[in-house]
Amino acid sequence: MYVFKNAWKSITRSPGRNIIIGVIVMAIAVSGSIALSIRRAASKAEQEGLEALNITAQITVDRQKMMQAAREQGGDMREALQGAQELSIEQLQTYAEAESVEDFYYSVNSSFDAGTGLSPVDTSSEEDDSSDTQPDMPGSMPPGGDMRGGMGEQGDFRVTGFSSYDDMTDFANSTAEITGGEVFDIDSADADCIVSEELAQLNGLEVGDTIELANPNASDETYTFTICGIYSYTGSDTSGQMIFSASQDPANRIYTSSAALLAVIGQSESVAQTSTDEETGLTKTTALRKSVSGTYVFADAASYETFQTQVTAMGLPDTYRVTSSDLTQYEDSLAPLKKLSMFASYFVLIVLLIGGTILVAFNIYNIRERKYEVGVLTAVGMKKRKVALQFVSEIFLVTLASIIIGTAAGAASSVPVANKLLAAQVTSAQEDTSNTGDFGGRLGMPAGDQSPPDQGGPGGFRGRVVDYVSSVNASADMVVVAELMGIGVLLTILSSLAALVFILRYEPLKILSNRT
Amino acid sequence: MSILKLENLGYSYDSGKTPVLENLNYEFENGKLYAVTGRSGAGKTTLLSLLSGLATATSGRIMYLDCDVSKIDRYRYRSRSVGVVFQNFNLLPHLNAVENVLLSMDIAGVKGGMKKAKALELLAKVDITGPLAKRRVLKLSGGEQQRVAIARALSFDPQILLADEPTGNLDLDTQDQVISIFSNLAHAENKCVIIVTHSPQVAQSADVVYQLKTIRSAGKQPAKT
Ligand SMILES: Nc1ncnc2c1ncn2[C@@H]1O[C@H](COP(=O)(O)OP(=O)(O)OP(=O)(O)O)[C@@H](O)[C@H]1O
Ligand SMILES: [Mg+2]
Repeated sequence: MYVFKNAWKSITRSPGRNIIIGVIVMAIAVSGSIALSIRRAASKAEQEGLEALNITAQITVDRQKMMQAAREQGGDMREALQGAQELSIEQLQTYAEAESVEDFYYSVNSSFDAGTGLSPVDTSSEEDDSSDTQPDMPGSMPPGGDMRGGMGEQGDFRVTGFSSYDDMTDFANSTAEITGGEVFDIDSADADCIVSEELAQLNGLEVGDTIELANPNASDETYTFTICGIYSYTGSDTSGQMIFSASQDPANRIYTSSAALLAVIGQSESVAQTSTDEETGLTKTTALRKSVSGTYVFADAASYETFQTQVTAMGLPDTYRVTSSDLTQYEDSLAPLKKLSMFASYFVLIVLLIGGTILVAFNIYNIRERKYEVGVLTAVGMKKRKVALQFVSEIFLVTLASIIIGTAAGAASSVPVANKLLAAQVTSAQEDTSNTGDFGGRLGMPAGDQSPPDQGGPGGFRGRVVDYVSSVNASADMVVVAELMGIGVLLTILSSLAALVFILRYEPLKILSNRT
Repeated sequence: MSILKLENLGYSYDSGKTPVLENLNYEFENGKLYAVTGRSGAGKTTLLSLLSGLATATSGRIMYLDCDVSKIDRYRYRSRSVGVVFQNFNLLPHLNAVENVLLSMDIAGVKGGMKKAKALELLAKVDITGPLAKRRVLKLSGGEQQRVAIARALSFDPQILLADEPTGNLDLDTQDQVISIFSNLAHAENKCVIIVTHSPQVAQSADVVYQLKTIRSAGKQPAKT
C-alpha cells in the first residue's frame, strides 16, 4: 500500500528528526531493559530459590502474644507464661496430619547431671572458646527457648533424642561428623548414644563404653547409656554465645534416638515424687523435664503457607504460631535484590514518564513542522485517515526499530550493570546489619572481622549474618523483550494520539493559504 | 450540458467580514478551454479553491454534474475528478519529480505497472526529463516546479483541470508549449480546462473568458459606519 511506501520514504528522506526520536527511544529502551532485566532476574531468582528451598517449620508458643494477653487482662505475667504449654508429641503429630505436610519429625531434649565416673567438660576452665552458636546445634531449641522452665540452667548434660536423621542438620551439612563408631539406630529404644570427642577424651571413653547420667531433680535416679559413636563438631566458632552452664557447652551434648530418650523419661515419670508448693499452689515433680521440638517439612513455600491456615482450621490456638527460619532467612537473603528490583520499578516508571513526555512533545512538534505536508496531501485528495495512518506508521517504525536496538544494547549491558548495582546494595545491607547486630560472643573481637557473606552461612549467627544473593543472572529474555515492546507500543500510541489530534484538526486550505 | 455550474456563488473570508466573490453564475463544459482573469486580489485563487472543493461556498452553490460539490465526498472528487495546478505548486519537497507525480496517481487509485512510465511520459511532455525527473523538487527552479505541478495534475487523467497561473514562471516558448497541452486536453480529449491567468496570450487561446470584478470596496463599508 502506497501509504507505507510513503511513510518509508518520509523516514529515509528526513533522517534528522527520526534520529532524534531514535535516540530518545533508545535511551528509554536501554535504561528500561536494564531495569526490567533486574526486575525479571529478581523474580526469577526468588522463584528458583523458593523451588530449591526445603522449607521446614516449627510450632512454638507465641510468648509475646501471651504476655500481651496477660497484660491486658491484668493477670500475672509469670503465671501466664507458665501456663504456656509446649505442644506434646501427640499434638504435634496431629498437625503433621495436615495435607500440606510432606514430612514430620521431632526431637526431645532433657537435662541430666553426671553420674558416677563421668565429668562434664568444664567450660570455665576451657581457654579455647569451643563455644558455638547454640541455635545451630542439632535439635536445639529455638532462640529464647533456654529460659523455658529453667531448662537451660539445669544439669551438666543436654541429651537430645531424634526421631529422624533428617533432623540432625549439623551432621547433614557436615558441620559435625562421626569420627568413631557409628550413629545410633534412630528407631531403636535401646539406650545408645553418641558423645563429643572432648567429652570422650576427658573421661577416657571409647565406643562400647557406658556412661551413667543422673536426674538433676533426684540424684539417686540414674540411667545408663551405651556409647555407640563419637562425633566431632567442626562448625565455625566465631560467633558464639556466652555460656552460663555446663549443659550449654556443645561438648556436653549427647545425642540419642527419641525413642530411647522418651523411654528414659517415661521411666523417670513412673518413679517421680510430686509435691505441691503451698505458697503458689503449683505442683512440683522430680521427673526428668523434657521439651519437644517438632519439625514440619514442606515441599514448597506454598504448602508452608497452606499449612499456616490448615493448623488454625485444625484447632491450633492463636497463642501458638508457625514459623519457618528457612523462609525468613531466605527472604532476608533476597532483601538487596528486592530493594534493587523496587528501585528498578521506580526507575522504569520515571524513565517512562520523562522519556514519554519528551517523545510526545517532540512528536507534536514534528507534526506541526509537517503541517504543510498534511496540507498538500489532503489538497490532492488523500484522506485524513490515510495521512494519519502514514504518520503513525512512521512513528511506529522508528520507535520499534529504536526499541529493538536499545533492547539489544540494554541486554548486553544489563548483566554487568545489574550485578554492580546489586553489589552496592549488598554492601549497604551488610553495613546496616553490622550496625545493629553483634553482641555476646562477639565482644572484644576486632570490628570488621565479620565473615564475608558468602562464607558466613552455616557457621554464622542465624538471622544476623545473611548469605545475601549477591549476583544475578540478569538477561533480557522474552518477557523483558515483550515488556519493552509493550512500552514501545504504549509510547507509539501516545505519540500517535497527539499526532492524530493535530492531523484531524488541520484544514488544507488554511494550511496552504497561510504558507509564506 | 455543463460539467460545473456556479449558482449565485458567493464567498467571504473571516466569517463574512471579507467578501471576495458575489453572485457568480458561470458555466463550464467539457471540451472547452476557459480563462478566468481579473486583478490581483479579485478572488481567482479563491474561486479555484471552491471549484476544487477545498473551500465551501458561503452563499449559492457549485454543481458538479448534478451534485452540489459541498455535499459529495470531496477527497474522492479532488483525487479523481479534478486536477489542480496550485499557484504555489504545493509539491512535496522530500520527493523528486517522478515521486510527486506517482503519489497523486497512488492517491487516485491508478492501478497497473505502467504508472512510472506514464509519469515519466507526462513529465517529458513538460520537458522534465533525465536527471531533472529524479531530482528533489526543492532543488528545481520555479518554472521546473511549475511544470512538475502540471504533470502531477494530469497524472490521474481528471475530467476537470484547474490551473492557477500555470504559465506565470515560464518563458514564452515553454508558455506556448503548456498552452498547447491545455488546449489539446480540451479540444482533443474533451476535458474541461479552467485556467486562471493574467496573460493576454493565454486568455486569447481560451474559448471562453470570465472576468472577475473586484468587490473589495463593498466589504469595507460596514467598518466605516
Ligand atoms: N485566508 C484568507 N483570509 C482572509 N482573506 C483572504 C484569505 N485568502 C485570501 N484573502 C483575500 O481574498 C482576496 C482574494 O484573494 P485571492 O487569493 O483569491 O486573489 P487572486 O485573485 O488569486 O489574486 P492574485 O492574482 O494575486 O493571485 C484577497 O484580497 C485576499 O487578500
Ligand atoms: Mg491567486
